[in-house]
Amino acid sequence: VTLARAHRSFEDLQKELEDIVAKLERGDVPVDDAIALFQRGEALYRACVERLEAAELRVEQLTRDETGGPAA
Amino acid sequence: VKIKPILYGERKVYTVSAFNRGVARFLGRLPEVWVEGEVTELRRNEAWATVFLTLKDPRTGATLKVTVARTLYDRLDLTLDEGEAVHVQGRAELWEARGELGLRATAIERVGLGGHLVALEHLKRKLAEEGVFAPERKRALPRVPRAIGVLTGADAAARGDFLTTVERRFRATNVVVCDTRVQGRGAPAAIISSLRALAAHPDVDVVVIARGGGSFEDLLPFSNEAVVRAVAACPVPVVSAVGHEQDTPLCDLAADLRAATPTAAAALVVPDERELRAALDGCSQRLERALRARLERNGEHLARVSGRLRAAPGALLERRRAGLDHLVVRLQALSPRATLARGYAVVRAGGEAVRDAGAVAVGERLDIELAAGSLGARVEDARP
Repeated sequence: VTLARAHRSFEDLQKELEDIVAKLERGDVPVDDAIALFQRGEALYRACVERLEAAELRVEQLTRDETGGPAA
Repeated sequence: VKIKPILYGERKVYTVSAFNRGVARFLGRLPEVWVEGEVTELRRNEAWATVFLTLKDPRTGATLKVTVARTLYDRLDLTLDEGEAVHVQGRAELWEARGELGLRATAIERVGLGGHLVALEHLKRKLAEEGVFAPERKRALPRVPRAIGVLTGADAAARGDFLTTVERRFRATNVVVCDTRVQGRGAPAAIISSLRALAAHPDVDVVVIARGGGSFEDLLPFSNEAVVRAVAACPVPVVSAVGHEQDTPLCDLAADLRAATPTAAAALVVPDERELRAALDGCSQRLERALRARLERNGEHLARVSGRLRAAPGALLERRRAGLDHLVVRLQALSPRATLARGYAVVRAGGEAVRDAGAVAVGERLDIELAAGSLGARVEDARP
């Protein structure tokens, strides 16, 4: 299970979770796969919620040069 | 001051005051004219009877001092800004005390608006024909951006409104702010370079242009052709929140989405955390339900199989019993009793069934079994 937080956007994780739910809801997966999917989904859900809880607003400032635009 | 020369022999010499007065009178005979230029160095003070400004020719940089009576200036109610193009009606005058040429204004009108509007309308039509504003060019915003690039002027209100709303809706947001000169001569180039810098940032996947309200002229850089094209060509989606509701700078049309205010833009680019949580929880619940349903369906199948399994012995017995009954009937059909009933008899000698006349001797005792009862008999004669 790869949930590497630095590399995947929240949107990605959420999308995968939704896909898993949809797949499981179609009900055509073998039982063993269904259980594996469920566990993956749970992990994704926890990862999403964790990100919501841990984070705060971060503001970065691009500095300006003398032309009034950003410095290179 | 008298305009009379002092004579130094043959030479006529004028005092500075006399010269200035003379030139001033000469200039005073010039007709009233209209002069066009850009307003710079506007100085109005309640304590002064005169308002001073300098008109500048934008092409050559030539300047002309203008004076206007403060009462007249206030009556015109222009609230002119630096850099605005105006028409000034007036007469040339010389400030005698300093020998400076000026224009004494009798009327001032703001110009360029009409010209700007026509030019804008032209540009709008041209860009529309090129498809720069086409709806099919509009891209969807990321549902949850990794980072939002924000282009603002040194506009604390727009920036503050935006950040506050973003934080309230979705705390887990990264914002990259780029303060940019958004007004005046260098603004278009600065806006374009900021836009590029924000889009080039590795995490930024949506850019918001947050510029609060301003005059028509203030917002002109956002209708600049190069800026509008840069917005349309921006590699990440752009939300334009420029000016107020009623303003529609062309960059609003080129952007992927338009917001009336920076606050509205914030609501467009980040999801509402509560809604997102609800959606996530919904996902989690559906996940559980789907798995349970899957397993239950499997359980039902199992139950059906095991039910059949458990029912099997009974059914088998039943079938066997049916078979047995059939057999019994057949068996009964084969029973000697049935044969006896049809009139046959079983002859035994010494308990053994007699099948051959040669097997018995004359005078031997026989037992004859009938359907009902039996007989004892003796052999009279035998014919093997």
